[in-house]
Amino acid sequence: MNAPTDGPHAGRATIQEHIRARPLLGTLVEIAASGPTECAQAAINRAFEAVATVHHLMSYQDPTSELSRLNQFGFEGPIAVHDHTWHVLNAAREMAEASAGLFDITIAPTLTRLGFLPRHANFPRASRHGDWRHVALLPGRRVQFMRRVCLDLSGIAKGYAVDLAIHTLQAAGMQAGRVNAGGDLRVFGKSAQSIHVRAPRTPTQVISLLPLTAGAAATSAAYFSQRRQGQKTLTPLIHPYTRRACSHQRSVTVLAPNCMHADALTKIVQADPAQATQILSRFQARAFIVEQDPSSGVCQLFDSRYSTECAPVNAA
Amino acid sequence: MYKFESWYSVPALVIPSLLSAPAFAVQYLNVEQAQKVLFPNADQFESVPIILNAEQRRAIETTSGVKVQSSALTAWRAKKGSKTTGWFLLDEVIGKHELITYAVALTADGAVQGVEILDYRESHGGAVRNSKWRAQFTGKTANSPVQLDDDIKNLSGATLSSQHITEGVRRLLATYQAALK
Repeated sequence: MNAPTDGPHAGRATIQEHIRARPLLGTLVEIAASGPTECAQAAINRAFEAVATVHHLMSYQDPTSELSRLNQFGFEGPIAVHDHTWHVLNAAREMAEASAGLFDITIAPTLTRLGFLPRHANFPRASRHGDWRHVALLPGRRVQFMRRVCLDLSGIAKGYAVDLAIHTLQAAGMQAGRVNAGGDLRVFGKSAQSIHVRAPRTPTQVISLLPLTAGAAATSAAYFSQRRQGQKTLTPLIHPYTRRACSHQRSVTVLAPNCMHADALTKIVQADPAQATQILSRFQARAFIVEQDPSSGVCQLFDSRYSTECAPVNAA
Repeated sequence: MYKFESWYSVPALVIPSLLSAPAFAVQYLNVEQAQKVLFPNADQFESVPIILNAEQRRAIETTSGVKVQSSALTAWRAKKGSKTTGWFLLDEVIGKHELITYAVALTADGAVQGVEILDYRESHGGAVRNSKWRAQFTGKTANSPVQLDDDIKNLSGATLSSQHITEGVRRLLATYQAALK
């Protein structure tokens, strides 16, 4: 529906960009694809179905999801899980190992206590001493909890859903595509997408970072999700070591080849920017942090490549 | 723990003044396109205008737990030949600031078959003062080439919008029970 683009198939059928949006993953998911009308609409349908599959498997909120079944019975014995869930749990394990636990999917009880996740009456009470190491990944795609832990996959699963939707569009032969799920973005093909981030303290203002031509970007910030509790401001950004909500007002954007890693890496950078450097390079990723002075409104932009390359990014 | 010689000690850039996020409106689909997407096999859409009475409104509110804002319901019966294949319901909910238009497809026996967003709008009220920046977005729809940064909008209000649509779908399911079944 948008500007027609030239391409190898341009002579045969009109190549147009089609964009649609559906409410999924607790946010609005926008999918764009460039191809002949009929194919593009069918490809977008399949991409949404892929996102919906991830949603139904890994939603924390949905008491009937596979994740909820794990959270309810994972301590009692091994449970076989779907390929997608298995893939995400393995990626979560890899991230946790790479970051010495700065990325940890077992912080759900803290999020529940702070009111960021719903309370499920039928989930067992979580142990205070459980962490990512107590999620055993067993042969035959089976999962068992070695302590009573409770998993929240929302960020990493959202990134995975975006990746899956992009693969669906590519498999359908689309020339270009874009999937955006509330701050998790991935693109392919010709069209470049400018990445903007909001100022952490005045989120109606934006900073232009750079154009994204391939790969993924994920942003993590608390400006729309934080809440007040008495005198304190609470964010859903939990430091896994202390199990406390970070009180800082920083926005983190990570660029990576895929969206699952990009989303997970934002958590690591939020928890400890200095320690994140090596992990970022291991996943071929780059991070930006924006911090804003509360009184002057001036923003400082930090770039994980800046120290090595010493080239300032082209920002507005 | 903190190594201050890292990249996080010296900013790559200091930005004294910022751009305001633009207000914008996107039309993903018009009604006809949404009907086709949600009911690809239907060959006819029969408009069924419905005004809810007080009793129906109360029943909907009790069943869904969501307040009914409008008595008018915009519904179409999707048909293939003479057979009803489902219902197409058009509705609006408030997003972060502005209305979102969306459509719900129900099967002939009232189960949700699909949800599509038709129009999404966002403004920041008085925060948007840069009229030149804002003008670039005026009148943009899914049919016009939006060259500017489609991702800005998705970074805000999406969670709230999604919750409100979920409530809206619950209300429409109750509406089906009360008025269409």
